Amino acid sequence: MNKSKSRLQYLFSLAVSVLLALVLGGLIMAATGHNPIEGYGALLAGALGTSRGVGNTLAKSATLCLTGLATAVAAQAGIFNVGGEGQLYLGAIASAYVGARLTGVTPWIALPLCFLAAIAAGGLYAWIPAVLKVKMKVNEVITTIMMNSAAIYFCSYLANGPLKTADRGVSAGTDAVDPAFMFERVIKLSNLTESIFYAAAIALIVWYVMRKTTAGFEMKLTGHNERFARFSGIKAGKLAIWSMVASGAICGLVGMFEVFGLHKRFVTTVSNEFYFDGMLVAMIMRYQPVGIILMSLFFGVLKVGATTMEAKVGISSELIMIVQSIIIFFMAAEEGIMNSILARRARKRAALTLEKEAGA
Amino acid sequence: MAQGETIVSFQHVSMQFPGVLANHDVTLDIRKGEVFALVGENGAGKSTLMNILYGLNTPTSGKVFVKGEQIAHFSPSEAIARGVGMVHQHFMLVPSFTVAQNIVLSNEPRKLGIFYDFSKAMEDTENLVREYGLAVDPQARVEDISVGLQQRVEILKTLHRGADVLILDEPTAVLTPQETDELFTVIRRMVQEKQMTIIIITHKLYEVMAISDRVGVMRQGKLVGVAETRDVNERILAAMMVGKEVLLDALDRTEAVSEETAVEAQDLQALDNRGLPAVRGVSFTVRRGEILGIAGIEGNGQSELIEAVTGMRPLRGGTVRIMGQSIAGKTPGGIRALGLAHVPEDRLATGVCAPADVTDNLIVGKEKDRRFSWKRIHMKRRAIRAYAQEVFRRFDIRGAGVDTAVGSLSGGNMQKVVVAREFSFDTPVLIISQPTRGVDIGAMDFIHQQIMQKRNAGCAILLVSADLDELLRLSDRLLTIYEGRITGEFRPEHVDKREISFYMTGGRKEEQA
Repeated sequence: MNKSKSRLQYLFSLAVSVLLALVLGGLIMAATGHNPIEGYGALLAGALGTSRGVGNTLAKSATLCLTGLATAVAAQAGIFNVGGEGQLYLGAIASAYVGARLTGVTPWIALPLCFLAAIAAGGLYAWIPAVLKVKMKVNEVITTIMMNSAAIYFCSYLANGPLKTADRGVSAGTDAVDPAFMFERVIKLSNLTESIFYAAAIALIVWYVMRKTTAGFEMKLTGHNERFARFSGIKAGKLAIWSMVASGAICGLVGMFEVFGLHKRFVTTVSNEFYFDGMLVAMIMRYQPVGIILMSLFFGVLKVGATTMEAKVGISSELIMIVQSIIIFFMAAEEGIMNSILARRARKRAALTLEKEAGA
Repeated sequence: MAQGETIVSFQHVSMQFPGVLANHDVTLDIRKGEVFALVGENGAGKSTLMNILYGLNTPTSGKVFVKGEQIAHFSPSEAIARGVGMVHQHFMLVPSFTVAQNIVLSNEPRKLGIFYDFSKAMEDTENLVREYGLAVDPQARVEDISVGLQQRVEILKTLHRGADVLILDEPTAVLTPQETDELFTVIRRMVQEKQMTIIIITHKLYEVMAISDRVGVMRQGKLVGVAETRDVNERILAAMMVGKEVLLDALDRTEAVSEETAVEAQDLQALDNRGLPAVRGVSFTVRRGEILGIAGIEGNGQSELIEAVTGMRPLRGGTVRIMGQSIAGKTPGGIRALGLAHVPEDRLATGVCAPADVTDNLIVGKEKDRRFSWKRIHMKRRAIRAYAQEVFRRFDIRGAGVDTAVGSLSGGNMQKVVVAREFSFDTPVLIISQPTRGVDIGAMDFIHQQIMQKRNAGCAILLVSADLDELLRLSDRLLTIYEGRITGEFRPEHVDKREISFYMTGGRKEEQA
């Protein structure tokens, strides 16, 4: 089948799935005694109605987008990184530590070092399962899932133990980074900070590498058919390891953005499964970078609007989880459903032409 | 039902797949007790039609009758219940089960309704073996027996389910000449003694002549003719298959073999996937402008040999030099850099990236060339596309275009993509495995000519093929391989197929030619 045609078909399926999910969400609202129009109205108003809402939505979308792209970078080369959450935590605590230790140093020197710390921590932590996978064929899904817990608890230990801050009013966290390093808010009172610009730059680079470079091309072939890539002279193992390191580095940066944008320090609540939300976005969009960026905006609206919806109309924000799940459910079944529809249509059309021929 | 009555009837059957009309208005009667051969090029719709009979496809329109009853619901279990059995090209056996366990699978004898009755399974199998003369050890594990025996297990499996109409899809593709003869003996016996009906799908015309009573020819989804086999000959059938007279012209072997050695293997050893020795000390040289053919029955080490030479499998011992340089410790990419290109035996698993488009598959390996990338980083998509379109035309690849996924092309066109890519590296050494397996006659002739052109241009070519005609047609020299050892060396003009078959099956040639 033609590529652009199948892509259009996929977009069509996606649109239908989203619409159906929203309709089903509306039915659930109605069934629980709420007005769906009011509900969705509050959701939209909350996410996009005020400048603060827009800021929060953009901030949420940026996180989803980066974690989604991190998943995609690894997946393109055939590695499924489920360990982004742990890489995020390590990136957050490493950059927070450097940021606190370098207090007083000019931001021109300190900030790049903080970036480096986040990249190194996330990247190295992703390098371990990548090497295990490539050299010893250890299933990366299992190792990365387990390494998530290891990282999260290790960070929690550090924040409660050796690196625990003396600042009062902080139950579990490290020392605060120098305020001079902190990202400025772009929209007042919202969560949107300068990190959005870094996020945009990262997204652009990821898109460029995945779509336009020889490395992205070779990653794609490796992901599709590792044997073929090796046969063709592509250093498949090396590519897989590097793409996993890149994926981990992006996750580390997401952790850093949370610290330097919002929390001022590493806290054990730095992420609330942010990586898994992004991973779902990436899976829904079949790891296509542009699709991930756009879908992140949509999910950003849903997630931020849900809080307002709960506050204003009294519909539980969990409803959005249902909508999200329904979309994922439909998209997972997409191929099977579309194939049976296409086959049925083709059968009908063929029967028609044959009848015509017989009649003529 | 008497001999010669219609047992299977297709009436105006059409099968539409998305984008492809695989069968178009096929009407065909098959008679009880005959061997019916269905021939046609790849993609002619033979397998599709038989898959309908076996219930794997539901036809878009038309009717199918088995023993006078119309099939309303197409499913294999329905087909089996009506006595239709099918042996696929790729066997559907459980490797770790014994022969007997495989044969009774899905139809296991039970004790007290729930317990597997192993002794009854053995007994059933032994009875079948005796009844049909298909000798096979019921207790052997399927993974340990040869492909020819595995095929017998497949046939016995359908018999155990009570099949009296048996479809064989390209049954001889994996068999030695001797095994083929044995299969034909079995087929004759099943027809004569058990009044079974056999439908055999093939594209080897001499087999049609040897075994069938009647033959149907398919072309582009249509049944273009049905004839009594004694009324036709191979030439007529070939012409019907392709729609025009095909003669495989002699290839121009213009240049003489040079003296320069390009590939040198000494005492080469390699293991198979189970870790057992597969190549046990093979030595050969290939000179520039020479095609060295390797003939062997599948599974005698030739696949492992090629993989070892190209770096896809570690060398266990011995040395290989490509253009004078050792390949020891090198990756497939590193060996390519010594001046080697490789058409692998398994195009879907190794030769192409099926989900990627034709353009991507043609450019792989050249993506960092200066004309296709800036500083080896940024891909010049426009130049790449123009190149792909040019190659697409030059190699006469037929399909929707360079944006189509390679996986959706037919086998012959997919192989042309592989050949186009590998040949355009312009390396001094070409390693070619099974260049025309499952490829139709038109594409086969084209690929043969390309190979000969490369030879004449001074390429050293190592050619492995299961097709003896192909080897005899192309090779300057020919080696036979048996159980990982070279058993003979021949000049194609001095031998016939029968003699080579003898060395391929374990005969040894004392004096080396």
